[in-house]
Amino acid sequence: MSKEQRLVGRRAYRPHWPVNSHKVFKRRRWPGTKRSMLKLSGRYNPKTLRREMVLTDKKPLFWSVGLLALLLLPLGVASDRFFTMFGIICIYAAINVMWTLIIGTAGLQSFATLATVGVGAYGAGYLSVTYGIPWPAMLVVGALLGGVMGWLISLPARRLDGLYYALLTLGLSEFMRNFVTQSDALGGKFNGALFGVARIVPSDLLTTQLGQSLLYITAFIALLIALAVFRWVNGGRTGILLRAAATSKEDESFASALGIDFNKERTRVFIIASAMLGFLGAFYATYIGGTSLQIFSLDLLLLLLAMIVIGGLGRAEGAVVGTVIVVGITQWFTEWGPWRIVLVGALALASVLFTRNGLFGLKEQIQEIRERRQALHRAAITGRYAEYLPQQAPDILDKSQIVGRVYEKSLRERLRSWINPDLIAEHEAKPMGQHSDHLERMLNYFRKAPIPDKYAVYCEVPFESYRVVALSGLPGVPPRVVDDKVYPTLEQAYHAVFLRRVNDLRAS
Amino acid sequence: MIEVLISAAVLASMYGLVAIGISFTWASIGMLNLAQGFIFTAGGYTAWLFAQYAEVWGITGPALSVGVLILGMGGSAIAGLLVGSVAFLPLQDRANFRTRSLIATLAISLIGTQLWLIFFGPQNKPLPPVFGEGRIEIGAGGISYQQLGTIIVASGMLAAVIFWMRSSRHGLQMRAMMMNPLGAAVVGVSVRTTGMRVLAISGALTGLSSVLLAQIFFVSPTSGTQPLVTGLIISLAGGLGSIPGTVAAAGLIGLAEALTARYLQQSLVPFVLFGIVVLILIFRPRGLGGLLEDVRE
Repeated sequence: MSKEQRLVGRRAYRPHWPVNSHKVFKRRRWPGTKRSMLKLSGRYNPKTLRREMVLTDKKPLFWSVGLLALLLLPLGVASDRFFTMFGIICIYAAINVMWTLIIGTAGLQSFATLATVGVGAYGAGYLSVTYGIPWPAMLVVGALLGGVMGWLISLPARRLDGLYYALLTLGLSEFMRNFVTQSDALGGKFNGALFGVARIVPSDLLTTQLGQSLLYITAFIALLIALAVFRWVNGGRTGILLRAAATSKEDESFASALGIDFNKERTRVFIIASAMLGFLGAFYATYIGGTSLQIFSLDLLLLLLAMIVIGGLGRAEGAVVGTVIVVGITQWFTEWGPWRIVLVGALALASVLFTRNGLFGLKEQIQEIRERRQALHRAAITGRYAEYLPQQAPDILDKSQIVGRVYEKSLRERLRSWINPDLIAEHEAKPMGQHSDHLERMLNYFRKAPIPDKYAVYCEVPFESYRVVALSGLPGVPPRVVDDKVYPTLEQAYHAVFLRRVNDLRAS
Repeated sequence: MIEVLISAAVLASMYGLVAIGISFTWASIGMLNLAQGFIFTAGGYTAWLFAQYAEVWGITGPALSVGVLILGMGGSAIAGLLVGSVAFLPLQDRANFRTRSLIATLAISLIGTQLWLIFFGPQNKPLPPVFGEGRIEIGAGGISYQQLGTIIVASGMLAAVIFWMRSSRHGLQMRAMMMNPLGAAVVGVSVRTTGMRVLAISGALTGLSSVLLAQIFFVSPTSGTQPLVTGLIISLAGGLGSIPGTVAAAGLIGLAEALTARYLQQSLVPFVLFGIVVLILIFRPRGLGGLLEDVRE
C-alpha cells in the first residue's frame, strides 16, 4: 500500500516515465488472476504536461532485486560455505514467512512453528527411511501431516486469548522432542536422528558443483513457494479482511460486521500455513538427507523468533531480511562459538527495547521523530516572531502579506525599545530638519502609516492656531478633530502629533 | 500406589514452585517471564559454585545443605532482578508492553543459555545431596530422604511466601497490584519497586526448585527448558495469577505424570499432560483458578 504524497515537507521519490498517450496501455496481470504485477497509475506531469506513468508501489522492485541477488550470489561464488549458508537462509526464511502469516495475518501468537516443521520432517523422513517412498510423496505427506497438526493445534485457539495460546504452544516443541527421544521407532538409535532420507538431487551428483547448485535452487524454489502462498493468503480477500479487523480494537465483532466468520477464517489461514510448514519440514528432510532433534530445540525456536523480531513482526520482508541477518551472523562467524548467538540475542533485545517494530518499522519511527521535532521547532519560532507562519495561515492567499506582518511586528518592537525622554526632547526642540538616526527611523515609520485614522495638523488661522485631526481615509468625509487643544505654532502642533503617534506605538 | 503418590507429590512441589513464580509475575506486573529457564539455571550454577568452594573451605554437613539452598535461591533472585531491569523497567510504561516484554524475556533466555555454555561448558554439573541419602520404609513402599525433604522444603517455602503475602505490608502491596495495578498505583504503591520485588521473590522460588530438581537431574545450560515448559503448562492450567489454582494444577499434573509414567509409557507423558491442559482450557479458558473463583462466588 502506498501512502498519499505529503503536501508539506519531504516527498517520496516515485519512478515515472513518459508514455505515448495515443496508444492504449495494457496492464500486465498475473496469469489466471485479476491482480496486476505492478501498481501503476497514469497522470499528466504537472510541469511538462506530458502524459506519464507512475509506479506507486516500489516494493515489487525491491523484492525482485533482492530475490535475484539471493539466487545469483551463491551460484556466482559457488563455494560450499555459500551454498550451505544461503540454503539455510532460504529454508529458514520460508519457515519465517509462514510464521509471519500465522502471527501477522491470522493474529495467532503461536510458537508451534518448529513443532509443525518437525512433525513434517520426522513423519516424511520416517516413511522414506522405512518404506522408501520417493521425495515427491514425502513432500505431499509432509504437507498433509502439517495440515492435520495445524488443525489439532488450532482447536484450543478458539477459546484462548493471545498470550495464553502463546504459552500453550511454546511447550509443544519440547514435548515433541521428548516424544521422539523416548519412542522406540524414532529415537533410541543415533539419539533421535534419521539418516538416509530420499533426496531430490541424486546423491552421486551432490559432490559436484552442479549438484550443489541444483540443491540450492530447490531451496530457493521452496522460498518462492512460501512467498507465493504468503501473497496468496495475505493479499487475498480473507487476508485483507483479517488484517483490517486486526487493526481495530474490537477485532472479532468488527470482522463479523464485515461479514466474515473471524474464527473460521483464522483457522483456515492457520491450517494453510501449517500445511506449508509441514511441507517445508519434509523438504528440509530431503534437503539435508535426514533430520535431527535439533529441530525441536527451544534455542532454535528462539533464534527464529529473533529473526522475525529483528526484521519486524508481521511483515514478509522483515522475516526474510531478519533471516538473512541472523543466519549470516551465525553461519559466517562460526569461529566466535556461542558468542554469535549472544550477539543475535542482544540484537533481538535491542530491537525490542529501542524500536517499535524491528528494522522495517524503523523508517516510520524515524519519520515520526522527525515530524515531532519539526513541530517543536515550528512552535518555537512561532513564539519568537509572530502569530502567523506561512504554514499556519492557510486562509491568507497572498503569503507576502504574512511576511509583511511578521516584519512589521518585529519593526514595531524595535522602535518601541528606542522610545525615551531624550528622543522626545530632541523632537520637541526641533520637529523639522535633520534628526538623530533613531528618531529619523521612527519618523519614517510614522510617515508610511495607512491613511485611515492617520494624525494630521489642521490650520485654523495661519501662524495663529493649529489643531490635531485624524484623517477619515474616505473621499468626501472630513477629518475629525481629536481634542480641543489649540497650538499657536506649527512646530508645537507637529510635536503634539508626534506624541500621539508615540503613544499609539507604545500601546500596540 | 504409595510410590506413585510420592513421586507425584515430588514432581508437583518442584514444578509448582516454578509455576507459582510465573503466575505471580504475570498477575502483578502483567509480564510473562519466559526467562524463567535462565533464572532456574542461574540458581543451579550459583549453588554448584558454592558447593565447589565449600570443599575448599571445609564446609560440610548441614551447613553445606543450607548454604546450597540459600545460595541457589539468592542466585536466582539476582537473576530475576537482572531480567526485571532489562525487560521490565525500560518497557514498563511503553505501548505493547506485554508482547514486547515477552519477546525480551525470550531473548534473555536465548542469551542466557549461551552464556552458561561459554562460562560453564556443556557438561552436566552435579550438586551435593542436600537431604542426605537413605530411605524410610513405610509398609509396602518407602520414601527416600531426598523425596521427603523436597516435599517438606517446597511446601514450607510456599507456605511461608503465602503467609508473608497475607500478613505483611509488602505482601499487601503485591496483592493490591494483582487485583488492580492502576488502583494500586493511584494509592501510592510503586509499580516499579513492587514489580522488582515480585521478580526477586519468584526468582527465589524458581531457584529453590532448581536446587531441588538438581538432586535428581543435573545442572546444565539447557536444564531450564523442561521446568520452564512444565511450569508454563501448570500455571496455564491453574489460571494465571491464582495461587490455589496453581497448587491444584501442580498436584493434578504431577499425579498425571507419575501415573502415566508408571502405568502407560514414559514417551506418552508429554501428550497426556498436553491433552489434560488443553481439555482444562477448552472448558475453562481461564484455568482451574477461574473455576475456583466461580465456586467462591
